[in-house]
Amino acid sequence: MPYNIAMISDFFFPQPGGVESHIYQLSTKLIDRGHKVIIVTHAYQGRTGVRYLTNGLKVYHVPFFVVYRETTFPTVFSFFPIFRNIVIREQIEIVHGHASLSSLCHEAILHARTMGLRTVFTDHSLFGFADAASILTNKLLKFTLSDVDHVICVSHTCKENTVLRASLDPLMVSVIPNAVVAENFRPLSLPTTTPSDGLTSPSSTHTPVPAPHHLGPNSTITIVVISRLFYNKGTDLLIAAIPRILASHPKVRFIIAGTGPKAIDLEQMIERNVLQDRVELLGPVRHEEVRDVMVRGHIYLHPSLTEAFGTVIVEAASCGLYVVCTRVGGIPEVLPAHMTTFAKPEEDDLVAATGKAIALLRANKIRTEKFHEQVKLMYSWTDVAERTERVYDGISGVLSEEEFYVGFRSGAGWSATRGRAGVQSFALIDRLKRYYGCGIWAGKLFCLCVIVDYLLFVFLELWAPRASIDIARNWPKKVVLHGSAKHEESGSGVARKRSARHREKRRDVETDNF
Amino acid sequence: MPPYDVSSSTSTSVTYSPPLSQPLPHHRLADPSRLDPSRLDPSIYSPPRRPRDSSTSLNALRLQDATNSSLRPPSAHRTRKPRIRSSSRRRKPPVWRKLLWVKQSYPDNYTDAATFLDHLQRNPRLQPYEFWQLVGEATVIVQHVAAVAVFACCFVGIYAERASPVAVVGAGSVGTVVGWVIWDGWVGKEEEAAAAAALREAATKKSVVVDGGGGDAAEDGSSTSSGNGELAGNVADAAPRQSLSHSASATSVNSLANGTSHPTGAPSFPAYSYHPPYGDPVSSISPRNQQRLATAKSAVLIYCALLGLSPILKSLTKSTTSDSIWAMSCWLMCINVFFFDYGGSVGAKFPASLSTNAALMASTVLASRLDSTTSVFSLLLFSIEVFGLFPVFRRHLRHVSWQGHVTLTILLVMAASGGVGVTISGGGWTAAVVGMVLGSILTGLSMGICSWWLIGLQKYKNEIYGPWDPARPVIRRRWD
Repeated sequence: MPYNIAMISDFFFPQPGGVESHIYQLSTKLIDRGHKVIIVTHAYQGRTGVRYLTNGLKVYHVPFFVVYRETTFPTVFSFFPIFRNIVIREQIEIVHGHASLSSLCHEAILHARTMGLRTVFTDHSLFGFADAASILTNKLLKFTLSDVDHVICVSHTCKENTVLRASLDPLMVSVIPNAVVAENFRPLSLPTTTPSDGLTSPSSTHTPVPAPHHLGPNSTITIVVISRLFYNKGTDLLIAAIPRILASHPKVRFIIAGTGPKAIDLEQMIERNVLQDRVELLGPVRHEEVRDVMVRGHIYLHPSLTEAFGTVIVEAASCGLYVVCTRVGGIPEVLPAHMTTFAKPEEDDLVAATGKAIALLRANKIRTEKFHEQVKLMYSWTDVAERTERVYDGISGVLSEEEFYVGFRSGAGWSATRGRAGVQSFALIDRLKRYYGCGIWAGKLFCLCVIVDYLLFVFLELWAPRASIDIARNWPKKVVLHGSAKHEESGSGVARKRSARHREKRRDVETDNF
Repeated sequence: MPPYDVSSSTSTSVTYSPPLSQPLPHHRLADPSRLDPSRLDPSIYSPPRRPRDSSTSLNALRLQDATNSSLRPPSAHRTRKPRIRSSSRRRKPPVWRKLLWVKQSYPDNYTDAATFLDHLQRNPRLQPYEFWQLVGEATVIVQHVAAVAVFACCFVGIYAERASPVAVVGAGSVGTVVGWVIWDGWVGKEEEAAAAAALREAATKKSVVVDGGGGDAAEDGSSTSSGNGELAGNVADAAPRQSLSHSASATSVNSLANGTSHPTGAPSFPAYSYHPPYGDPVSSISPRNQQRLATAKSAVLIYCALLGLSPILKSLTKSTTSDSIWAMSCWLMCINVFFFDYGGSVGAKFPASLSTNAALMASTVLASRLDSTTSVFSLLLFSIEVFGLFPVFRRHLRHVSWQGHVTLTILLVMAASGGVGVTISGGGWTAAVVGMVLGSILTGLSMGICSWWLIGLQKYKNEIYGPWDPARPVIRRRWD
């Protein structure tokens, strides 16, 4: 059953990043599976209104005041009018928010519940419980997630974290990992656009396993580090470890890509130890170039201090690099043991683990050339989309409750907050019950917010009735999915499409004045 | 259709709350051992084992399993678990593993009771408070509040012209001078101890150097003692005795150090390290006396400056009504009490600047309400003594002698409560005595109750640590 899904997050292209590419890839794959997906984000520099991406993915850039690092200012209600307009225009059934620091996403989930839509939230990051900022964020997360249908986390550690932060029932939290586009991260020995190094001569696209390339005892091993140079990415560890690794292994080189506030420390370390000829700093690289940097190395070093999933180590393994990483967050779940060496987040252990990895590579004990095919089987966006679809099926009642919440206790404790089977009730009083439990003061405040939101919704229904909002045309599909009424408009010509888009843009501008 | 309990998901607890039928007390909810499978209803988290009830779901899962097994990474599959897959699939579902790269036959929202949240740590660094310890620590706060109360009473006395400003500042100054003399003695003793320790350290260093350098250095170095081994002991013994003149001990040890280190070529500067940072080595006055001189100089300077400023400060807030001044000084005193550096050690020369500045500003605006220049001058000087110098003395006293600290606390509480009694009632010794008794009882009670309350509040402490917290990198410090 195809759904109309709205992905909502503050973070989307043109800004690069993990969440952004997650949303894009997931949306593309869901469209391939016959769903209709739109993306709602805030306006970026020089990018407002409606845009279409590849595959007919429609992006609404809603003008909003950006406070800090592309996060919009959290005004609880101001997003509602334009959100309602988009939802009605696009006939949205499921609202899927991403990233817990995105206030746009939280607001959208609240409004979507007020409008009686199904909501899903994907958490991409880990948060502690100690500092004041985390406490505030967690309280807000609890507010939004008090009334959400399902939550998706990118790793099991992330699930534990989210369950604790938002006091969720673990059964309504699914773990669906990130994935990589394996075709974009092919090792050098596989046929790519870049010339091969001569070890294997690629003739067809189906070379089952390339011949293993042997490292001699004297050949140079290159260690690649690609990360933003921030404290929480473990740059301090890296700075401390590099001179020691290079001192004990003469035939080792480093390539470091990325930039950030710790870049100066890194440069100072290089100058102090006179390592300019052995450490190459590339500066910031674009995501498309990451593969070209990775294939220059043999080992990928990832000294991060916290990480929910760590897509980059999967990308590195896909490029055929052996991975040395710290055992933090969700990283131990991501790759099998034969692709990684784990280290504690300590300087000595990191040096030892890197030494071990170098020795293993020199002994030719690791078949890195097989990594690509293995990673390809482990992670794919098609798989992620399938699993996300199961979540959609579960929350909209296509899967029965027993089927979806497997193994949940039967016949005990009927609760008023649960209406139809497997579906959270939309009645305002039930929603208020869920919000009221958020805390002594916060619960009452949240209830107030929900009531105001509801009144706003009633007012909007009167002031801008549904009947007066036009329904947007869908992007023409190549394959019409078994007579679904929403996808019948495949015959529209280019001229009509363009004019329709033009109209929509103008309408969008009009609604912006709301 | 069995309904699904969500009420627990929105329970008031900050912590993870499982779908239990009856809510547990708040602080027990997050107990990780509660997730122990033996304590749970096994049907909550376990994978489906009911083929009759949910045959469709099981079929679906089998289908998924079949497709997944073909997707399994070949090498990992071969190395990891071939036996479980091939033989025992019918009998028992495969064990769930906390991994993302394996395609498992469990649904995505499966929660494994055995491993879920098993790395959760609650209150790992919890130190339970003890009652008398807390009461003892509370004396620091009581002392400061009492000092503020004494100051306020003195102001009211001067303002109501019940107390002579000169008497107040005279008593304060006498107390300050006595306190300074005592303090000076303590500092002197401490410096001697530090010098002795430094000497001992330097001597051991030297002996090591000399041992490495060779035997001929021993003769040169034995100007005061015969052997290297005895050098360290001699110096250590001699140091306490050299308490009369610091410069004398310094020079003698300098020559000693020079004598030992020059033959081996080692630099002699470590021997200077115990030198007090102040003081001119060529001056005839000892560094301690130089410091005393500096103190006296600054005291005279402050005295003269206050004397000169008093007439100006007297008319500082002529245009402001008294109500505003009372309110303002109240707030400033509150700032002083709340931001005071109670945990400060001896080394901190002056308490937190915000606190001290607030107190001095309060006393300035209060002083501007007084009508004679003498009163203004007295109150300002008194405030500097109470808020600037007295905390230094109190801190040192607590460091040096606990009994003295307790005695001072009792004295201060008596003085403050007596003063408050007199101020409220308007004079008379009976009022003072009643105030003292009541105030002491009240202070003691509030100290006890607050400590007991804080201990009681500790059970609500709920720090959560887990693998999601950013790791603290351990980096070896190198001194290159």
